[in-house]
Amino acid sequence: MTPSQDEAVADILVRWQPYGRAGLLPCLIDVQNHLGWLPPDVCAQVGEVLGVPLADVYGVATFYSRLYTQPVGRRIVRVCDDVACLANGSPALLEACRTALGLAPGETSPDGLVTLEVHPCLGHCEHAPCLMVNDQVFGRLDAAAAERLARAVRAGEAPPK
Amino acid sequence: MSQQVTLTIDGHQVTVPAGTTVLQAAETLGIEIPHLCYHPALTPPAVCRLCVVEWEGARTLVPACVAQVRDGAVVRTHSERVLRARRTILELLHSAVDLSEAPDALAYGQALGVDPQRFADGERRHFPVYEDNPFYVRDYAKCVLCWRCVEACGDDMQFTYALSLGERGFHTHIATFFDAPMPETTCVFCGNCVGVCPTGALKSLEEHLLEQGIPPEHLSAEKRRRPPLEGNRE
Amino acid sequence: MTASADRPTWQAIPGYEAHLLRRVGQVDPTSLADYEAHGGYRALRAALEMTPAEIIEMVKASGLVGRGGAAFPTGIKWESAARQPVTPRYVVCNADESEPGTFKDRVLMEGDPFAIVEAMTIAAYAVGAEQGYIYVRGEFRAAYERLANAVAAAREAGYLGKRVLGSDFSFDIELRRGAGAYVCGEETALFESIEGKRGMPRQKPPFPTERGLFGRPTVINNVETFANVPHIVLNGPDWFRRIGPPDAPGPKLFCVSGAVERPGVYEGPMSVTLRQLVEVCGGMRPGRKIQAVLVGGAAGTFVPAEHLDTPVSFEALRAIGASLGSGAVLVVDDSVDMLEVVERITRFFAHESCGKCYPCQLGTQRQWEIVRRWQAGHHRPDDAERLQDIAHAMREASICGLGQTAASALMSVLPRMVTRFEGGNHVSASDADH
Ligand SMILES: Cc1cc2nc3c(=O)[nH]c(=O)nc-3n(C[C@H](O)[C@H](O)[C@H](O)COP(=O)(O)O)c2cc1C
Ligand code: SF4
Ligand code: SF4
Ligand code: FES
Ligand code: FES
Repeated sequence: MTPSQDEAVADILVRWQPYGRAGLLPCLIDVQNHLGWLPPDVCAQVGEVLGVPLADVYGVATFYSRLYTQPVGRRIVRVCDDVACLANGSPALLEACRTALGLAPGETSPDGLVTLEVHPCLGHCEHAPCLMVNDQVFGRLDAAAAERLARAVRAGEAPPK
Repeated sequence: MSQQVTLTIDGHQVTVPAGTTVLQAAETLGIEIPHLCYHPALTPPAVCRLCVVEWEGARTLVPACVAQVRDGAVVRTHSERVLRARRTILELLHSAVDLSEAPDALAYGQALGVDPQRFADGERRHFPVYEDNPFYVRDYAKCVLCWRCVEACGDDMQFTYALSLGERGFHTHIATFFDAPMPETTCVFCGNCVGVCPTGALKSLEEHLLEQGIPPEHLSAEKRRRPPLEGNRE
Repeated sequence: MTASADRPTWQAIPGYEAHLLRRVGQVDPTSLADYEAHGGYRALRAALEMTPAEIIEMVKASGLVGRGGAAFPTGIKWESAARQPVTPRYVVCNADESEPGTFKDRVLMEGDPFAIVEAMTIAAYAVGAEQGYIYVRGEFRAAYERLANAVAAAREAGYLGKRVLGSDFSFDIELRRGAGAYVCGEETALFESIEGKRGMPRQKPPFPTERGLFGRPTVINNVETFANVPHIVLNGPDWFRRIGPPDAPGPKLFCVSGAVERPGVYEGPMSVTLRQLVEVCGGMRPGRKIQAVLVGGAAGTFVPAEHLDTPVSFEALRAIGASLGSGAVLVVDDSVDMLEVVERITRFFAHESCGKCYPCQLGTQRQWEIVRRWQAGHHRPDDAERLQDIAHAMREASICGLGQTAASALMSVLPRMVTRFEGGNHVSASDADH
């Protein structure tokens, strides 16, 4: 951790400390938003500050699919392949992303920039087929648009609107 | 004096104090309801669902280990609807877990006519055997996730909280903090977890070594070769 | 959200007036003043002139039932929480919306967030709660930000906080985010999640109105359920009952998606039929035929084309063994292989099972494995029977609705799936001939 991250994490811990255990999930989410994942030493701090047994911190961190106890890419591309997107050609989107990113679902690029995931329904089915890059949703994509998007993400550029 | 409640179980009327569970009430009639996760000394987690019974008017079956009696309730503990569910749950369990040292589960299965191979084409839960401390071993391929060890380690007995559940769904497993070896956790090696484990997933190192064919006279030498307890975090 | 929203993806069914969606797209969702200019907070002012019991009576008389899937009468839920001698009490908004094919709550939260805050405040006044929570699905960043802004603005203006609008009633709201767990939409799992635990459902009873969040009496309602409340308070229960069929009163949001021309959220009465919903969406995409409609999302059932004239009321759907659930109407056309669709659904449940109770923890996994094996072209003669036994165990013996419904979609097409295997060990690539 860089010193500024250290400080940010300390601020997050101070913010959620008064909540005790009820602060656990929001605290882990905030920490992860800063660090990209949940390293063991930080999880231990979280447990100590909030008064949650460390085994339980781990139990919670591994329960939620959007919390990561191992490093992942700074950008996570989540391609929806659930029913509404499937009915709108999501397999072609996924294929385009695989090719453009050179990653299989679940893999992270060696430089730690991008992770590709296949995701259940993203709750934006009226824009199917869709995918998310971190918190941002991109809908009604065809394979070509998905490929452009994925290339931009891979190159570290801002995703095209 | 506590209030009395009268209900019907398998056609027999029975009167018991309010707050009694269906499992206990059935017992007074000599009716045995299978139960795997329930342990009298622990908070019933009601996870195994082997104890489910038919409760007239209820949409689904209800777990007898936690369902409390009610006046006028009509309960069937061995209807086909019940038996089919129990049988399938045990068959599913056989397909994922090594039940060879779980005598209760095996006996229930026999009584229900369970086919242990019914779902054998499915993925099993594989884990290494953890021999990471001088007192007990953990063989989670035998673990049925009854939660007993977690509860015994936590609020119900020891207040040590070394154990929790990790991940979810089929991949749920008993976990320590980032799956650390026991000596690096808060574990105080009280042995309560080993005492309540119904499946042989947790057993004393001694028992484990004897099973491995280590002659009794070599036991203490063998135990000394296990990792010591240094580094135990308080 | 940068999806190409070239046209609104929400509207009332033609010939029908929008109530729940009325302000969406019309009001500035970030502005309290604009919300007030569009009639916002009139209902809360009216409510504070009534007694809590009067409001509960109104909601009961309206016949409003929960829009989150279980269709439980809202007024009865409120009454039962209000009767508890215990305080504090909580009001929780279930905004976890994760049922595949469901996106109506998101549209309401993004487009009219103040309405949710106002409705929760009315509910809190009615049941005597001082603290509320909104638990928002983690993926819904825009909705979360709009709601956070709305709560802050409402607090600033005295609509939340100590002595709301100068009354003796105090109420405030905190927001929480999910982190990727469908099961946390189940009400007791949601409480566990807010309490900092793994989101595993609790055995019921006790019910939330008795022992809910932090073990206290709690009213938990769906976003859309709350959105109805200000309308009922302002227009009265009779007005509400005049909308829709007698057994399913009030406006309803339908999430129509899949192979239709204009997928979106459509508001209408529950007397509309599935066919009308498809037509309102501009029908099927050119050259496509309906294969089946998945009603109620992954937890729902496939309704075959011959039942398209069924109204979507709770009762009419129940008669054909279906359930509206969360309001998802997912249209699957003949270009999609049903086996693929079923694989997604069974995978979903295996992925989302919390793992607490054995039937679901193990059954969802085995179910998915068998379907995947079918995809690879292999079946066993006893597959159907094994799947039916798994379905029975999950439906009858699981702790929560996830396990109880995890086999329903698969079971609704099992006969068709089995037909495909007859006469060979191979599963045909397409189910288009059906
Ligand atoms: C697995 C599962 C997921 C659920 N997800 C949601 C959800 O995302 N949103 C929701 O409002 N209700 C959901 N529910 C239903 C809730 O448990 C609960 O019935 C609802 O929040 C009550 O509100 P209502 O009466 O207003 O519908 C879910 C239920 C189950 C079993
Ligand atoms: S290790 Fe034993 S006690 Fe612990 S959950 Fe597994 S079977 Fe139960
Ligand atoms: S039915 Fe499934 S999701 Fe619900 S409690 Fe059981 S294992 Fe968890
Ligand atoms: S199915 Fe892809 S967003 Fe819902
Ligand atoms: S004994 Fe009742 S659920 Fe396990």
